[in-house]
Amino acid sequence: MTVLLPSILAAEAGGQGQFELEAETVGDALRALPVANMLFDERGELRRLVNVYVDGQDIRGGEGVEAPLTGGESIRVVQAVAGGCAAS
Amino acid sequence: MTVTLLVGTRKGLFQLHSDDRRSWQLDEPTLEGWDVFHAIVDRRDGTLYAAGNTFPYGGTVQRSSDMGKTWERAEEIGLPEHTGLKLEKTWHVRPGRQVGEVWLGAAPGALLYSGDGGKTFDAILSLTQHETRDQWNPGAGGMCCHSIQFDAEDPERMYVAISAAGSFRSEDGADSWTPINKNVAADFMAEKYPEVGQCVHKLLVHPTKPDRLWQQNHCGVYRSDDRGENWERLDGNGLPSGFGFPIMIHEREPDTAWVIPEQADLNRVTAEGRLGVYRTRDAGESWELTANGLPDQAWTGVLREASSFDALDPVGLYFGTQGGSVWVSPDEGDEWIEAAANLPPILSVEAHWEE
Repeated sequence: MTVLLPSILAAEAGGQGQFELEAETVGDALRALPVANMLFDERGELRRLVNVYVDGQDIRGGEGVEAPLTGGESIRVVQAVAGGCAAS
Repeated sequence: MTVTLLVGTRKGLFQLHSDDRRSWQLDEPTLEGWDVFHAIVDRRDGTLYAAGNTFPYGGTVQRSSDMGKTWERAEEIGLPEHTGLKLEKTWHVRPGRQVGEVWLGAAPGALLYSGDGGKTFDAILSLTQHETRDQWNPGAGGMCCHSIQFDAEDPERMYVAISAAGSFRSEDGADSWTPINKNVAADFMAEKYPEVGQCVHKLLVHPTKPDRLWQQNHCGVYRSDDRGENWERLDGNGLPSGFGFPIMIHEREPDTAWVIPEQADLNRVTAEGRLGVYRTRDAGESWELTANGLPDQAWTGVLREASSFDALDPVGLYFGTQGGSVWVSPDEGDEWIEAAANLPPILSVEAHWEE
């Protein structure tokens, strides 16, 4: 499967924003990255503002990081940064 | 003489260089996108450390052996599960007494230590789980441990300060901690002079007269001449306000210090609509405005980590504003020069110099 990282994580991964990996679960794939300790806190829990999409589906709507992978998936990491709010 | 200023901002770390402290060269930023709460060079081996935070990915300590060209992130950093706490933000990095030792002040109210040059950090539970912790509360910036200071003459004595828990002293190399907040006001609490809970904004120990401590507090400017056993409030004689964040001191003149007052806790702009640095040369008995070169009209702010000083002769003073300006005095406050402008909001300034 392919893992895609946003720019700040790619910079921390030595400038590499795309990784080709083999893993059994989403969590295994993320923990194999050189930025794993930015994605997970000291308890090993996925940080609250880190969103992960597998083939476009938010893993928090399913099995979370335990979601199994079969190979060939595209995993996208997206930081949840709230935008501005238009004055009403 | 060369001086490098490490300027931590909301959007990365900037460096300014000068060989006369008057003309400055600004480098492109590093750690782009990071909130750099504090950065400092260990003068002994040249390692640059930065307390870096990102909103989604938390806080860490970055280290560089080539002054920021390349960085390595701490591999293990956090608080143990049994504390019930998680690391929120990293605030202040202080190289330890030995090369390779690094102390880290963090939120929530945590002190951490690295013995391997910043690769791994362990929580100092004697402070993080201090018996008074249930009386601590977060300040507006969180419950940050922002000051870590060493006694230059006693290898076992050190100090930390936490907002809003107060100041603490250890006599046994961080194995135990004593609150040192006597006579320090906590006007926002029902009991005005509690044992702990004071909102210290910055604590400094004098490098050559280590029984002397200075603090800029939420509720006044204070000095202690007995290692924090007693504090004297100093902001009645020439300061427009007791509220502020930074404090700077003079290595060779223990009676000299500088502060940058702000209007009030609910109106955090520089006092009296100007940008003024106030200097005492009599241990806080009186204060004088130094503003030659500073703007007459200004409503900006200077955060707790955003000032620094060197030990050159005359002493150089440095601070950065939330408006993104870096101000330098090459002569102890007599004259001020804008070394850089239009940077992102400045969180920290630290001077690194070589004679």
